[in-house]
Amino acid sequence: MTNQSNSTVRILQLNGRFDAFEAADVAAQLDELMIGESPRVIVNMANVVFIDSAALATLIKAMKRARQRNGDCRLCALQPQVQVIFELTRLNQAFEIFKDEYTAIQSFREMPAYASDSAPVAGQLRWGTRA
Amino acid sequence: MAATNYELWKTKIITGEPELSIVIPTYNEEQRILPTIGAISWFISKTRANWELIIADDGSTDKTLEAVKQLEFPNLSLLTTQRHVGKGAAVQQGMLVARGRYILYCDADNSTPIEEITRLLPKVEQEGYDIAIGSRDLRSRARTKSPLLRHWSRHWRAWVVKQLLHLPIQDTQCGFKLFTQQAAQNLFQMQTIKSFAFDMEILYLATRWQYNIAEVPVGWVDAFESRFGTQEVHRFLFDLPRIRQNHRQDVFAVAAESLVPRGMPLHNAR
Repeated sequence: MTNQSNSTVRILQLNGRFDAFEAADVAAQLDELMIGESPRVIVNMANVVFIDSAALATLIKAMKRARQRNGDCRLCALQPQVQVIFELTRLNQAFEIFKDEYTAIQSFREMPAYASDSAPVAGQLRWGTRA
Repeated sequence: MAATNYELWKTKIITGEPELSIVIPTYNEEQRILPTIGAISWFISKTRANWELIIADDGSTDKTLEAVKQLEFPNLSLLTTQRHVGKGAAVQQGMLVARGRYILYCDADNSTPIEEITRLLPKVEQEGYDIAIGSRDLRSRARTKSPLLRHWSRHWRAWVVKQLLHLPIQDTQCGFKLFTQQAAQNLFQMQTIKSFAFDMEILYLATRWQYNIAEVPVGWVDAFESRFGTQEVHRFLFDLPRIRQNHRQDVFAVAAESLVPRGMPLHNAR
């Protein structure tokens, strides 16, 4: 995450239960990824089993902050039970959500400042996955 | 398959008596209730078609009611009251209208993940217990960043409960308890405490009526936004002695006359 540039897509991978307990750490991690004029962040939620309101608020804040700076925070690989939560809260209409990480990365190619030769930088954030 | 089950549950009304009822008490939970409903609906629908969800609201003044109503789930009932009475009142209302063979009540923040019900259900379905209660103290699976003060607060409450009620239970206040319908109907009809202390009254009654109680270790996540403030502490300390007092005054016995309990009451207070 040291290779910052406007055209880099940064990926945050989350695991387990994303809730109030983890929200502050994830917010700090997202803040670190929001550097640059047009931040492009993907949150990979393939291993997230539950998301609560505090976690949703964290993602909304990141998305708004990125869009204010002509970037975006996009989500990918939601498990069905997490997809249901986005549907019930209608946040599936607010976020750009993609089926997998590759598709999410490709979606950023349509944004004007994206440089096709830049490789995505993966940020990893893991915590103890529940048994 | 899981998606189909969930779609069916949220669009078609169930027929007959539900196998399972889940009661969630709410008070100003507009932020937290929808993720919890989503998690519960998805998980339970995976394995059971015939179940109902009951949201028992305790006079919310925010948009909790609107958030729940707009879902329009046919198997979700929303119970409302005009004024804020207490968590105990909301749970009691929900437990008494629940039609399920087994009835769980759990907190609106999903602090004990709904998946933990798989640890409780076998106790009542297969092992013959009348009540299975989640316990946060029986193993170290809790995730918490609580301040020390709050940690102590939980432990002094447990100590006070032990001194006053002599309950043979380690964690009386985990908001994750499963009852057979018979036990729920009997115990919640006798409930007199409407505050946070209602848990203790129900367990006190359950032990006196000789119901079999299984205490089951469950995972738990501290949800930070505890509603157990100074006012609740005062009410807790006021209500706790009333549990035995109410019993001495035979309030329970009068209420119990109209019931046909499975358990037999113990006549001598400890």
